[in-house]
Amino acid sequence: MTKNIYKFLLKRYVVITPILLVLVVAQIESYSQLTTSGTFGAAVRLAIPIMLAGLGGLYSEKTGIVNIGLEGMMIMGTWFGAWGGYTFGAWQGVFIGMLGGALFGLIHAIATVSFQVDHIVSGVAINILAAGVARFLNVIAYQDVAFASSTASPRIQGDIGRLTVPYLAGGKINDNETFNLFGSIEDLDLFLVSDAAGLVLGFLSNISHLTIFALALIPLSVIVLWYTPVGLQMRSVGEYPSGSESLGVNVYLMKYFGVITSGALSGLAGSYLVVAGTGTYLEGQTGGRGFIGLASMLFGNYKPFGILMGSGLFGFADALQLRSPDAVHGLLIVISIFLFVLTLKNFYEKKYRVSVITLILSGGFLIWFLNSTSIPNQFVYFTPHITTLIVLSFANQRIKLPEKIGVPYKKGELN
Amino acid sequence: MTRMKSKWLVLFIVFGLILTACGGGSDDAAEEEVVAEEPAEELDSPATTAAAAEPEADPASICLVLDIGGLGDLSFNDLAYSGYEKAIADFGMEGTFLEPDGGGENRGELLELCAEAGNDLIIGNGFLFDASMNEVAPSYPDINFAITDGVAEPANVRGMLFDHAEGSFLAGVAAALKTTNNHVGFLGGVDFPLIHEFEQGFIAGVQAINPDIVIEIGYASVAPDFSGFNDVVKGKEIALAQYESGADVIYHAAGGTGTGMFEAAKEVSESTGTKVWGIGVDFDQYYQVGNALPELQEYILSSMVKSVDVSIYNAAKQTVEGTFEGGILVDNLESGGIYLSYSGGYIDDIKDTIEEYKAKIIAGEIDPPSARP
Repeated sequence: MTKNIYKFLLKRYVVITPILLVLVVAQIESYSQLTTSGTFGAAVRLAIPIMLAGLGGLYSEKTGIVNIGLEGMMIMGTWFGAWGGYTFGAWQGVFIGMLGGALFGLIHAIATVSFQVDHIVSGVAINILAAGVARFLNVIAYQDVAFASSTASPRIQGDIGRLTVPYLAGGKINDNETFNLFGSIEDLDLFLVSDAAGLVLGFLSNISHLTIFALALIPLSVIVLWYTPVGLQMRSVGEYPSGSESLGVNVYLMKYFGVITSGALSGLAGSYLVVAGTGTYLEGQTGGRGFIGLASMLFGNYKPFGILMGSGLFGFADALQLRSPDAVHGLLIVISIFLFVLTLKNFYEKKYRVSVITLILSGGFLIWFLNSTSIPNQFVYFTPHITTLIVLSFANQRIKLPEKIGVPYKKGELN
Repeated sequence: MTRMKSKWLVLFIVFGLILTACGGGSDDAAEEEVVAEEPAEELDSPATTAAAAEPEADPASICLVLDIGGLGDLSFNDLAYSGYEKAIADFGMEGTFLEPDGGGENRGELLELCAEAGNDLIIGNGFLFDASMNEVAPSYPDINFAITDGVAEPANVRGMLFDHAEGSFLAGVAAALKTTNNHVGFLGGVDFPLIHEFEQGFIAGVQAINPDIVIEIGYASVAPDFSGFNDVVKGKEIALAQYESGADVIYHAAGGTGTGMFEAAKEVSESTGTKVWGIGVDFDQYYQVGNALPELQEYILSSMVKSVDVSIYNAAKQTVEGTFEGGILVDNLESGGIYLSYSGGYIDDIKDTIEEYKAKIIAGEIDPPSARP
């Protein structure tokens, strides 16, 4: 039993070590912003769209279709989400945004599945198309509307509700304040415990209902993809399409289903930005989050919970650089120690060359940390990207791709 | 069979590219309509100005090229547009306005487009136009050019500059007098020298009242990434962090990003029960943001108004009258092109102190710094 727990922890050291390190470093006064509930709350808000896009990528790639058009489908989600929200209301906007994304998923599916077009070419075309279509639609739809322009929509109607969990985070029941358990633990300033409470509080207080809906999709995806017949068929299509067909699986149907779901989830990611974020569509507001979603999918090794971790990491780094550029300096020592842990691990596994490289890098970050008090602003803004890059390049060298990913499949073909 | 199919696909992609191109082009189409209507209305109204009195003569024409954020940013670009609209209405000018694409890379092309169409006055709204002005303006010596917040070398270009530090100094004074926590914040759009003028002026103003006040400073992006002028989400997160750390007045110089700050002010005020403030910029945002998003109006303490509309209007007027000259034109507190607004009446109680500092700045007793030390 204890051996199993030990094994489990060891397998997940990539996730666990940085979290522990951050909690420890946050004890230093000037880096205390690292673990406040405010930072974690912002991290959740910034991570959800990336997570949804990554989840979208998962559904498509599991069926063997590379989906680089996530960004474009997300753009459609932002536009349709805002249009639906302006015309009908917030939740309707979310639904219409998903439909908009699914529409572009359908286009991608027609091109790649029925016409066997190269997946990358079609994906790039989707991205270019979506940017143009969004501007085009925006000009047409809001011609006579005040406070709209060719690059921005008017504000959506209504609001998605927010939830603060009662008792645990001090939410209200029938307008009566309740006890704020984690909030009071955070205020106690106990070593480590308060910081962990801050983390939990970020997830429990003032969260949009849409966030809860999005987070619920993670376990749901695990169930659908790994514990239902449809999920098995979808995965088999990505691994070995001709074999699946010989067993009576409708390969095209599964691929269509995967790509359209992918579009709908990316659309949801886009409408999240609008409905739970700005309240309006703004041109370019996706800002490459679709591509980062793709990276978080690779980081998560095609597993829903892995995607959650990957997008969470990015969201945390993003929240940190926005909220307290000073605390980013504390990440240097985290990275340094993390690289040192990697060195030990690689040395233990007799991968001497890799361990030397990580050791040198670890020392480099340590020297940087000791000889500076802050990081130049230009670097701070790239914190999320750099963090992701470092973790991606050193931590996960065994990504298991679906066997026949990116390979066009024709019905009846032996492949 | 597959060959047939791939032909369809090629057709589809080409169609997509055409649509993409339309995205930019459709503005012009939409604009032409508006423009066609304007002079017609002008004919009916009793004309008072010389230009409008003789509408048969070829009317002067004005072309406005907006910058990142585009129309609808409730700030810098909308302000320029209102000056442009007023000029069209008052002088019966023919107008065209263009918006650059998302990243603003096609500024030069848009200026060229305006020049080839034979406009009499072409305005690039934003310092980012300086390089393209230098390229385009010399080829069209008979056309008047103007650039907001920037300067360009050619003699037919007018650089319309504003002394941001002076106005921001007053915003700092107001913030320092209004804070109850002795804690204020500054939200900049893009970390680069132009916005440092706002930042330094603001800091100097705050410290003139009380040097012990803590000042939070945050930026949405760093040059050459100018997305920070149009990123409401980032603006909101930065402002939330500043309010949560104790700041109760934040001044923004971030264009469209600033809307996020007002939203953060509303959210924090409602969840904590203590009212926090935001100070707007460029426009009198009490009216501008307040009209578009009425629920945010009560959190707008004041605005550091920068009359880009007046500068554009004047440039248009002088073009019509034939008195336009290139060179540099600076607006400041003294000229009235920069001022602190009292809309909403939230700072009426400290008006005397603000006016006192304003007089000192105009008299030259105080010289707000405009660059980082």
